[in-house]
Amino acid sequence: MATMIVDDTIPDFDYYGGLSTPTTTTTTTTTSFSDDDRDHGCTWNDWSAVIDLDAFSGGDNFQDLIESMIEGNNSSGGLNMNIPKSTTFYNSEDSVLMEESEESNNNQSEDVNGLKLVHLLMAAAEALTGVNKSRELARVVLVRLKELASPNGSTNMERLAAHFTDALQALLDGAASGSLHAKSMFSPNYKDEQQQGDVLAAFQLLQDISPFVKFGHFTANQAILEAVAHDRRVHIVDYDIMEGIQWASLMQALVSRKDGPPTPHLRITALSRSGSGRRSFGTVQETGRRLTAFAGSIGQPFSFHHCRLDSDETFKPSTLKLVRGEAIIINCMLHLPHFTYRASDSVASFLSGSKTLNPRLVTLVEEEVQPIGEEEGFVGRFMDILHHYSALYDSLEAGFPLQSRARALVERVFLGPRITGSLARIYRTRGEDERCSWGEWLSAVGYRESNISFANHCQAKLLLGLFNDGYRVEEIGTNKLVLGWKSRRLLSASIWTTPDSDL
Amino acid sequence: MTIDEPEPNSNSDPISEWLDTLSDVPSFLDEPYNYPEDFNFYGDSWWIPPNQDKHIVNHDIIDNNICTSFNYSSPVNAATSTIPPEPIILDLSKKRKTSGSESDHNPKVSRKNRNRHTNEADEMKKSTGHKRVTNKSTTNNCSNKEGRWAEHLLNPCAAAITVGNMNRVQHLLYVLHELASFTCDANHRLAAHGLRALTHHLSSPGSSSSSVGVTNFASANHKFFRDSLINFNDINPWFRIPNNIANSAVLQILGEHDKLKNLHILDIGVSHGVQWPTLLEELTRRSGGPPPLVRLTVITPTVENAELGGTPFVIGPPGYNFSSQLLAFAKAININLQINRLDNFPLQNLNSQVINSSEDEILVTCAQFRLHNLHHNNPDDRTEFLRILKSLDPKGVVVSENNIDCSCNSCGDFTTTFSRRVEYLWRFLDSTSVAYKGRESEERRMMEGEAANALTNMGEMNERKEKWCERMRSVGFVKEVFGEDAIDGARALLRKYDSNWEIRVEERDGCVDLWWKGQPISFCSLWKT
Repeated sequence: MATMIVDDTIPDFDYYGGLSTPTTTTTTTTTSFSDDDRDHGCTWNDWSAVIDLDAFSGGDNFQDLIESMIEGNNSSGGLNMNIPKSTTFYNSEDSVLMEESEESNNNQSEDVNGLKLVHLLMAAAEALTGVNKSRELARVVLVRLKELASPNGSTNMERLAAHFTDALQALLDGAASGSLHAKSMFSPNYKDEQQQGDVLAAFQLLQDISPFVKFGHFTANQAILEAVAHDRRVHIVDYDIMEGIQWASLMQALVSRKDGPPTPHLRITALSRSGSGRRSFGTVQETGRRLTAFAGSIGQPFSFHHCRLDSDETFKPSTLKLVRGEAIIINCMLHLPHFTYRASDSVASFLSGSKTLNPRLVTLVEEEVQPIGEEEGFVGRFMDILHHYSALYDSLEAGFPLQSRARALVERVFLGPRITGSLARIYRTRGEDERCSWGEWLSAVGYRESNISFANHCQAKLLLGLFNDGYRVEEIGTNKLVLGWKSRRLLSASIWTTPDSDL
Repeated sequence: MTIDEPEPNSNSDPISEWLDTLSDVPSFLDEPYNYPEDFNFYGDSWWIPPNQDKHIVNHDIIDNNICTSFNYSSPVNAATSTIPPEPIILDLSKKRKTSGSESDHNPKVSRKNRNRHTNEADEMKKSTGHKRVTNKSTTNNCSNKEGRWAEHLLNPCAAAITVGNMNRVQHLLYVLHELASFTCDANHRLAAHGLRALTHHLSSPGSSSSSVGVTNFASANHKFFRDSLINFNDINPWFRIPNNIANSAVLQILGEHDKLKNLHILDIGVSHGVQWPTLLEELTRRSGGPPPLVRLTVITPTVENAELGGTPFVIGPPGYNFSSQLLAFAKAININLQINRLDNFPLQNLNSQVINSSEDEILVTCAQFRLHNLHHNNPDDRTEFLRILKSLDPKGVVVSENNIDCSCNSCGDFTTTFSRRVEYLWRFLDSTSVAYKGRESEERRMMEGEAANALTNMGEMNERKEKWCERMRSVGFVKEVFGEDAIDGARALLRKYDSNWEIRVEERDGCVDLWWKGQPISFCSLWKT
């Protein structure tokens, strides 16, 4: 990827003031964006390479492993097999791990421990499904995992494994009692029952230590700003407004536009769900009240509505109040780290229903799902999710290595339940009815790609420049930006329009 | 405005401000980590409080010692600290089959039910004489494969080795390594022995191992060895029942002949002498007294034979010889005993001169768990040896063998033969787990370590009962039915052991089979020339 010097290429950002730490932008002038995955932190985060088992097909390493096992055997009466020397598990490409000598021993043992956990997690997943299914084996592996993993562990993998272990245990117990389809903790509102204070604290921390939320919001907002540059009335239909953070920054940007028409009137319709919690009618109303107050304080003409989804979270476009001449924007934030999963049917009803509204723009943010290779089904998906979250954990740690308690909160409040939900979904479907990405789905139902502007791309790079080197942004196709950590794609923002759009 | 111009309100981040209006951020950093209760997935019904009852090994309960320690280096500590408070997992689905009681969750109650069941079964046995008792195998599903998790790792690993999928092998070895333990329950032990065997196989495929580092017969001292064997026979009928039936058969044959004739027993077995005191005692109780002379010709295995080196239970500690003690015992009960020990003697070289047999004695051959070490094809040493046995013109031949498919290289690929060996070892470990009541001891370690030789020994091993019978017939032996005394005696003896054991008498072939949890272990057969 080309190195970008921000100073030289900085586009006109005058309509956007949302970068949370603008005073630091001067320091980003020399920030280079490189896909060189050099790993200065030298944590276990290269385990993607470590578990690339292909690397072991050269027999030497394997022989070492065997020999070390046998040696361990001979040295005592018992099965005293210490963990094989960690060097066994690295091929030459990983020699970078040895560079920081004072820490290398420690890190190696972490890596080996992490590898051990990965093997055990995979074994548990295999034991839950497939030809070699054995609930008893799954149970025993989970017992061992609980001894090794801890949600308070010092390494990412220990904490990550703790969440995966709990999620797998839930599948095992659910499979045993036949209650897998019961709502219980897999219900989307599970998180809503957590303490609101914890959720807010965790959300703010997440904002501070990672670019995920801002990447989604900023990319969408930038596209919205560009799409409605000449409109007098803008109507945003938001699938999942939560606390409405995204719109505070959009309003700021709208009122600080220096040229063009006067600040348009902004109308936001938030979809609400039945029940209680962060997506309930009450919470959405409260969000609307605050947004209205905020808009008033900065001089943004604004009105707020909400639209209740059916009890099965189906969207009916006829329930929207529309005004002639307004530009309709469909905003669909799906898998930001602090979001729980929405039911596919609900998302589909929203996106297909919206099409009848001829929206000017559809902004979609979703998790990137890797195509799975040889290992099909549940285990393949499981490993992919493990890989995904390990990259996520890794990115959080790299950004703020010292704030382990803050990260632990984010992990507990957002990521743990997400992991549980993800595994429950792929367990139910055995990883088989894998839908394509929502982007592909939009394309299939007739939405048209809308071009991501150069400015938008640059803004994303600028944003990432405020965080760790490991973050990358790539443009895929003409309408999609993907945020990745090292070699792993994590989150994408794409923009769409309808052929009949009024633009 | 450009980005690097300070904004009017550049010091205030609108999003942070926005968040601030929502609510006060709690001082979460002061709070201890608190796991949501929803993550506590253990419903009460799945966990039974630790039960100190010494009858903890209940047949309706899958014996799951949850190992809280995987400390390989101090098995004794691990044993004392982890074995007593055994959390037990009830398999409720099974229990419902055996008892409709509401109190399924209480192991003591279920034990009571279980005992009632057993008594009923016993009663049925008494009333139905020698009929097969199928009751147990239908009420007891403990032999189902589901609970045997170690095999779900060992067999796929062997399969991966067979096809050369080293990534898979490495993954499975990793997992096995994490779960293996020589001191936890039978599955953990099986994993440990299996892992050892697989790594051995990978480092030197096709070779037998000398079991370095594992406690087994070869490393035991003589007294400990003998005491352990005697105790083992006391708590596990694995060998005791075949020995008992063989002894009864000897008496049965003896009873068919002139009481004044000498008895000559050809001992080709693995009992290491512990079988004979009871026979000698029986002889003194015989009407008319013991035979004038009892000759015991013991054929010890050839230690040079590499293939025999790893066969379980065959070779005792170096230099072990039970002769003097048995002679002293015989003298004490006034039996004229003569022991002739043919050390390190190849079975194929046997003949009448070697064993010095004579026309006027009653020769009975006891071939127990030894003949399966002989090659069975190319050349067929097994049949050839049976021919030699026949040429000795014995009055009776007892053949006892493991009733398991052959696991030699010519009877299947590594995957198949390894899984058969694992199956054999599983049955042994499972039964010893019950026999030793889950307790760890040096003796248990030795017995299990010896049995585990089955995994590393790559030579000929085992054969099904039907094949053996076929061989016997093919060389001209005629099947003899065991007398009622033999079968009743064995049944009575079995009652002192765990109720998962059963004796099945096959009307069809006249063999007496020993079963564990509905699976065949061994068979005894009696033949005449």
